[in-house]
Amino acid sequence: MNNATDNHLMEQVRDGKVERLAIIFERYHVMLYNFFLRLTYNRSLSEDLVQDVFIRVLKYRSSYQGQDKFTIWLYKIARNTHIDYLRKRKDIVLLDEQLDKIASQEPLPPEKAEQAQEILRLSQALAKLPLKKREALILSRFQDLKYKEIAELFGCRIGTVKVLVHRAIKELGKAYLELSGGVAS
Amino acid sequence: MKCNQIKEKFSDFLIGEIDEIKRKGIQEHVTVCNSCREELETLSAIWAKLGVLPEEQPSNNMRTRFYATLEKYKKSLEQEKERFHLGKLLVGWVERWMPRRPVFQFSFALLLLVVGLAAGYFFHSSWQRGGEIAELRQEVLQIRQIAALSLLRQESLNERLKAVGLNSRGEQPDEGTLASILRTIGSDTDIYTRMATLDDPYLFPGFSIVKEELAQSLSEQTSPLVEVALALVHHIEHLK
Repeated sequence: MNNATDNHLMEQVRDGKVERLAIIFERYHVMLYNFFLRLTYNRSLSEDLVQDVFIRVLKYRSSYQGQDKFTIWLYKIARNTHIDYLRKRKDIVLLDEQLDKIASQEPLPPEKAEQAQEILRLSQALAKLPLKKREALILSRFQDLKYKEIAELFGCRIGTVKVLVHRAIKELGKAYLELSGGVAS
Repeated sequence: MKCNQIKEKFSDFLIGEIDEIKRKGIQEHVTVCNSCREELETLSAIWAKLGVLPEEQPSNNMRTRFYATLEKYKKSLEQEKERFHLGKLLVGWVERWMPRRPVFQFSFALLLLVVGLAAGYFFHSSWQRGGEIAELRQEVLQIRQIAALSLLRQESLNERLKAVGLNSRGEQPDEGTLASILRTIGSDTDIYTRMATLDDPYLFPGFSIVKEELAQSLSEQTSPLVEVALALVHHIEHLK
């Protein structure tokens, strides 16, 4: 196992030892894949986006200064990759449609039916949130980023992130309740 | 604490980024405030529920693609390094031949300059000996005359005026050009074009046909201005 810090590895990549990027890839590709998957609900697209992130890391390796925490730098690239994708694609499949497709395609085994339904409803509710709220919630809940780090990533104050997350959870709860057949308060 | 202040801390409460005093403050508040309790319960429930979303694993294809890309990038870097190395070798070779002392460097540069100048002089003279310049000059003259002829036939007055003097650089015009010029003096619809054409300096290097044609033209002119101009031309020619 390699114990080198992310920062040190990235500095080596910057200085020409590009093969060291393999260690970074092994550490972060699953994390990035899940980040994109929760934003797009499309597996092959998420894999493409992860690939694109690492191509960008190679492309911009000389600009790495190491002032930011490495994961913040990586997430900055990931967010830009996703935003560029949204800008370029005119024929973008709406997230809801993507989820409906999943629901209709994947037959659910009876013993896991209830949990699978729960996952689907939560994903659909999550997909209804505006992009920034969804990002804030995903980053804080699933990607283990602190509010301070998310604020750094978004370029805003910590208070703004806290409000974003708070509202995102409230809206998510409302959407989940509606999808479950309950009445939103 | 007021409800608003309590609610502001809910996101910290959920993520666990909260100290013990604040946590206790929230817990005490929600025991007495139904609205805040309900909101915190809803938020906590949905926050916990999100835990059922599993972490997914990408396909192996992603890893294969990444390593292929990395390999390709490494190769392109190595090729770049090789090119850089060749460049360095060349510079090193030049440096080896370059004298160390500035005075010798200056002499060497001077020598190179002299060699360059000599080579330039040699090639220049041999090129001139080949008569290529004369040939080119003749071609340019021909092109200019063709352009003038073409302009003289244009409908536009401006275009016809442009033709005047275009091919006059002291060289002898060919018969076609001369005939066209004389035709313009004799019969162009615009008197200013006729007069301007008369000023063309290559009408006077002693062509007898020009004198005859101009005399003929004088009797046929309808414009007094052109007649005066023609008479002046004749007079000047006689004085010569």
